[in-house]
Amino acid sequence: MNNNKLLIINGPGLSDLSNFNDYGYEHLTLEKLQKKCLETCKSLGMELDFFQTDDQATLTKKIVEGIKECDALIINPVGYSHESTFDLDAYASNIKSDTLKNKPVIEVHITNIFHDNVGISEPVIVSKSGVGFICGLGVHSYELAIRSIHEKLNHN
Amino acid sequence: MNIYVINGPNINLLGTREPEIYGSETLGDIEKKCIEQGLKDSHSVKFMQSNYEGEIVEWIQHAIIQKVDVIIINAAAYTHTSIAIHDALKSYSGYKIELHISNPHLRESFRHVSFISSAVDAVVAGLGADGYCHVIDLLSDLPIKIN
Repeated sequence: MNNNKLLIINGPGLSDLSNFNDYGYEHLTLEKLQKKCLETCKSLGMELDFFQTDDQATLTKKIVEGIKECDALIINPVGYSHESTFDLDAYASNIKSDTLKNKPVIEVHITNIFHDNVGISEPVIVSKSGVGFICGLGVHSYELAIRSIHEKLNHN
Repeated sequence: MNIYVINGPNINLLGTREPEIYGSETLGDIEKKCIEQGLKDSHSVKFMQSNYEGEIVEWIQHAIIQKVDVIIINAAAYTHTSIAIHDALKSYSGYKIELHISNPHLRESFRHVSFISSAVDAVVAGLGADGYCHVIDLLSDLPIKIN
């Protein structure tokens, strides 16, 4: 079995995970999240490029450039998934672009992003360009995404 | 853990219904895998499917009475229409996960609204039929209060 390489991109705001104190993750840090993802990838024989940026342009560049070196992408776009300040169309088209080819993409969120809505959930625009969507499982959102991608890559 | 896996309308057609979207596995195949996956961690998995909204509501109410630890619900088309299922899930205090085989957000716009998402702890979509087993595999690691 070849070593698949996975790219995990964490968007703006995720450098400081103390924001998630209110969601029952008071001791979560980006370093801990990275360590957990590395452990899971290692156990599955996958290489990992774990990336975080607070800058929109760097985020877009990493999606386009980073995926060329990798077999699959997990992305936590955080607030950009439903904030109007970001050029969502450009973002989605980047993910859909030819550079991605048939590589699996899963959008993940630490919390259930639908909880703040009253009864009706808005669509997550970024997820329109991904094959998978996971939210609300804490760090396990990432773990589930990694396991699912591993299975997908090794069954195709 | 006691786990209910509740499936909504047309999921009994899996394997024959639009296999390019939903895959070639039948619901029976998935049920078997879920039960086997659960047994690895000593979970008791009850796997259900109904085409009737009211029956799904009653199963959720049954889970409340029976103090079932986890509900994994694929409400299928009722995801986008059913306030009754939303209300029932709100009344259930155990751990609950919304699951979809495909990613509804990638499909027709009438599938972009979910009445389920705001009533559950977590949402998992687009991982294919394997999503069920992956989620059951993960349950022992989640902060779930066992009754």
